Amino acid sequence: MHDRQGQGPPRILVFSTDKISDPAIDLAGLLKLHYPPTIYTVIVPCSSGVKPRWIMHALARGFDGVFIAADGTDCPYSPACTEHTGKVVGRTHEIMKNHNINPSRLRMAAICSVCSEAFVRQMKKFHADLAEMQNKTGEENQE
Amino acid sequence: MKEKIGVYICQCGSNISDYIDVNRVRDRIKDCPGVGLAKITMFACSDSAQKEMIEDIRGEKLDGLVVASCSPKLHLATFKSVALRAGLNPYNYVQVNIREQGSWAHSDRPADATDKAIRMIEAGIARVHLARPLEPIRISTVNSVAVIGAGIAGLRAARELADMGSRVYLIEKDHYVGGRTAQWTDLHDTEKSGEEIISDLYAEIDRREDITLLTGATVKGMSGSVGNYEMEVELRPRYIRPEAVEERLAEMMERCPVSVEDDFNYALTSRKAVYAKYGTARPPGPMVDRAALEKESAFLAEYSDCIDLEQKPEIKKFKIGATILSTGFDPYLPPAGEYGYGEVEGVITLPQLKRLAALHAGGSLSHKGKKIQNLVFIYCVGSCQSEGENKYCSRFCCTAACATSLALKNKHAVRQIYHLYRQVRTYGKYEVLFDEALNQRDIFIKFDETDPPRVEEKEGKVYVTVRDLLTDGEELEIEPDLVVLITGMVPSSGRARVAEVFKAPLGRDSFFNEVHPKLRPVETVIDGVFISGACQGPKNISESVQSALSAASKANAMVSRGEMELEPTLAEVNPEICLWCGECESVCPFDSVQKVVREDKEVARINQATCKGCGICTPVCPRDAIDLIGYGNAEMESMIDALIKRGEDHAG
Amino acid sequence: MKEQERSPKMIHDVLVIGGGIAGEEASLNLAHMGFTVLLVEKDYSIGGKMIHLSKVFPTLDCSACISTPKMSETSRHPNIKIMTYSEAREIKKSKGLFEGKILKKPRYVDEDSCTGCQLCEEVCPVVVPDQYQYNLVGRKAVYIPFSVALPKLAALDIDSCIRCGACEKACPAGSIDFSQEPEEIPFQVKAIILATGYNLFDARKKADYHFGQFKNVIHAMQMERQLVPTRPYNNVLRPGDGRIPDNIAYVLCTGSRDKSVGNPICSQVCCMYSIKQAQLVMGALPMADVTIYYIDIRSFGKGFEEFYQQTASMGVEFVKGKIAQIEEKENGNLILHYEDIENGGKPVTAEHDMVVLAVGLTANSGITAEFINQEIALDPFDYIKPKDRIVNPALTSAEGVFAAGTATGPMDIPDTILSAGDASAEAASYIRRLE
Repeated sequence: MHDRQGQGPPRILVFSTDKISDPAIDLAGLLKLHYPPTIYTVIVPCSSGVKPRWIMHALARGFDGVFIAADGTDCPYSPACTEHTGKVVGRTHEIMKNHNINPSRLRMAAICSVCSEAFVRQMKKFHADLAEMQNKTGEENQE
Repeated sequence: MKEKIGVYICQCGSNISDYIDVNRVRDRIKDCPGVGLAKITMFACSDSAQKEMIEDIRGEKLDGLVVASCSPKLHLATFKSVALRAGLNPYNYVQVNIREQGSWAHSDRPADATDKAIRMIEAGIARVHLARPLEPIRISTVNSVAVIGAGIAGLRAARELADMGSRVYLIEKDHYVGGRTAQWTDLHDTEKSGEEIISDLYAEIDRREDITLLTGATVKGMSGSVGNYEMEVELRPRYIRPEAVEERLAEMMERCPVSVEDDFNYALTSRKAVYAKYGTARPPGPMVDRAALEKESAFLAEYSDCIDLEQKPEIKKFKIGATILSTGFDPYLPPAGEYGYGEVEGVITLPQLKRLAALHAGGSLSHKGKKIQNLVFIYCVGSCQSEGENKYCSRFCCTAACATSLALKNKHAVRQIYHLYRQVRTYGKYEVLFDEALNQRDIFIKFDETDPPRVEEKEGKVYVTVRDLLTDGEELEIEPDLVVLITGMVPSSGRARVAEVFKAPLGRDSFFNEVHPKLRPVETVIDGVFISGACQGPKNISESVQSALSAASKANAMVSRGEMELEPTLAEVNPEICLWCGECESVCPFDSVQKVVREDKEVARINQATCKGCGICTPVCPRDAIDLIGYGNAEMESMIDALIKRGEDHAG
Repeated sequence: MKEQERSPKMIHDVLVIGGGIAGEEASLNLAHMGFTVLLVEKDYSIGGKMIHLSKVFPTLDCSACISTPKMSETSRHPNIKIMTYSEAREIKKSKGLFEGKILKKPRYVDEDSCTGCQLCEEVCPVVVPDQYQYNLVGRKAVYIPFSVALPKLAALDIDSCIRCGACEKACPAGSIDFSQEPEEIPFQVKAIILATGYNLFDARKKADYHFGQFKNVIHAMQMERQLVPTRPYNNVLRPGDGRIPDNIAYVLCTGSRDKSVGNPICSQVCCMYSIKQAQLVMGALPMADVTIYYIDIRSFGKGFEEFYQQTASMGVEFVKGKIAQIEEKENGNLILHYEDIENGGKPVTAEHDMVVLAVGLTANSGITAEFINQEIALDPFDYIKPKDRIVNPALTSAEGVFAAGTATGPMDIPDTILSAGDASAEAASYIRRLE
């Protein structure tokens, strides 16, 4: 497994949703609410449609963290979206554990279509936490 | 794999190129495998740039198109149409958002924004490489529109839609139409009263066979998809026997023993438990306040020929192609104690004042037995709260306050009105009303939000103390007969439930949110769900009507042609791999998964007509046999690769 | 003038007069509903005033990003026929239909063969002030009106042309045609939408502000042009000496809420565009101070108050005070006299090195004179008066004639779009009722 932890600023892959969370991320840009530029977005229709294998692929290729910007209760498709997305995350966490990957490298939070501040807050926190994880890993490696 | 992809990097004037080094981006992109040409353009969306792309696609025989510009929410359709006009299948086009999620989001770090843009465009190229041509799905549409809420916006939208040729279901949760306009009696833009305008519109609605008006109606659910929604509505009864004789009804209303607060008059008066909302309320006829009357068995027995408490709610279902939400607003209700409201006698709100004036038509005003000659208006109550929840300006209130002030002096023998304001926002021609208020010697006093007026009761009298910024902060004490809080608009209390049923998102101000204030002001992100009137944000009556008719034209254009095109990005099952387990069926919100037998094997099949392309079924398949078209493993993983690939080059 | 018989009558459902954002929106709505539209624009290009703006409040979207795709969509919709540099004339109603003529003015460039290559512009020796840049810079006598003009074709300004023939020689397509004459083409429609927009208040009428005399006093559209991506100087500069200003004043209500200049009403957009420009100026000139002198800040629309508060928190100074007079110092700086209302109302002065006059909007309803047997009523401010502002806000006093956007009064862009949508709906249902 490719592991680039500890090199440069953490890179985060965000799965955003076309109608709900991606508009919030756009709005963050419009309002010039800055967040780390090593955060990349891939849009899907619904957060419940994110496959665990994509997340594992992203982590394997070098992303330090994956964030699912979930539809939550605003989901235009399913009232059970939070539950479905939660299951995706739960299953992926299991796979991560089996591969000795720290499950906290995958997070999800509901981001409503105007929750740009919440998004930026989540990103800054996740980014900082991942950086701290890198440092720890770095220290452990040195020991 | 594509061989000749055209990549266009938009400068968006300078919105992108001020932060992102577009030349560097182009230099990095132009040699990517499969890229036939990479160009920088000032405005990719301009007509000349579109024409250039079309010429390039045709002349250079491009087989894929990537435009790196703004959010696809703005111009995906624009560039899909470019591809289509050039003879390129529009699904061979990908838009990369290097503005909202590039130059703007990272305007503080231009070099990093440039690096991010390169990666994002490479991901777009990777996606185009794997894109396959698709044809939109053509569906037939029902030329019917549901209008939710029969206030002024809903009534007007309904009438216009019917005239434009659409069938209309006008759904009102109240038992009478007219909403807030009916309560606003005196209007400055017209000679007619609010009640008259509503009655006239009702008569027109009633005359049109293509409009079905459902009052006492609540939307229970909406299923299906744009062009073919099915709506379920619950109709609550009025508990009045349809065969009841008019004289008996009149007598019954007269003799009803129970009285309750009249919410039409904002609790200034009381009404009977058998009542019509107001004298000329439409549809005509009384209704029974069941909860208030239930225990009056003697009365109920006496009028059993009129009242029938056994009437049951009824469920109605019908098909519509689109829906317009016009659920309006609620007046801001000050919490007890805000400027003495609810605690000090003689403090009311603007909507209450309007009712008070209507109740004293043509005469002097009195409130709780006290003659009203001097009033204090306090502006911006519940609006422009820098600390509170309602940060927004409610738009109509300054004008409404000035207009009301004129009417009070002209028609109700009011002597003086003190306007305690922060900024007078009688915009446009409404300035005339402010000017007239000054001319009739109203007194305007400007206060600061951080030092608001104080309303106190001393020995049974109301006193207002205010520091006037226009006279160097002098503190004034006024002893009015009535204090009127010029309250703003808040989203209607019912809108949360409406939002839930229709999935229409709310904005930062909690009103319904449009897709874009200029490009798509009456549309929501949900296809076929439009918003109009004050449910989108504060508006006066005329502005609500303009927005309602705007929505009506959009809805009519959407459904009246009988057919429309839908995105073909639906789920598909690979029957070679599928071993039917039913997992996908169990999560599908639209019952679009069917079990079929194919070559002696049970497999899942997706119903194209009902699938909405959400992809919820794709991660649950234990054999990874389902993909969403356009979001397959290969596409997603190649995009991920592109986003991270050059990480090694740049890290550290 | 060419003989009429040669031009066959143009028959459409709706005539839309004015190709600004209101006219485009109304035309597109009608076209989407299946009606045919004749869109007539008096200028060389559609796009109206909006296309010349930089960014728009309160989202700070670039104006071109909203305008140009709408222009493009309008121009290629099969149901819409656009005639630019044309005016509707002699409109009369007979048997329920409107008839009249479209005057197609000569642009002295053949529209079919011109490719917009701009070679003519390069060789033209004449330089006159560029009206599309609000006279900040010059243009040639033969020229492409502006970079995103639609149609993007050259036009020859015959009044400034010296007939040297250089353009004729340079044009590879032979498109220069001095023999063009005005043409009149008859039309017949069922309904008309007036979307003729507004005029900017002429700042010279406010004599105490000395616009046109003091070089560093400019009006807001000139500032707007200095802030667009395609800006003439590529920076914000004082016209007087080309220096970068560092202390800019905005004078709100220039020509609005002002009976002395004959415009007592509020122009509805100036507060917000000034606030927006203040934000853009702070972006372009981070070291500059910006002060906005106002009577009331009217940030009343959706998201406006929030935008105003954000701007105030960015450090733009808001001073309540009506500017009485402006004086010029020798170095080109300007002294503003005003009553400091929030500090006792004392008369005070302030010095700025550049002043932007937030000019208001005035009516542009001359088109109503072209109606022969119909009266289109105007309000006291010469805007087109709605017959019933509450129930039918777009309907004019003449049945079948509707008005959209700022033709009916001052309005911002979101309101204009809704007003245009309204006009299209009222026109559509009117036509359906005729049928």
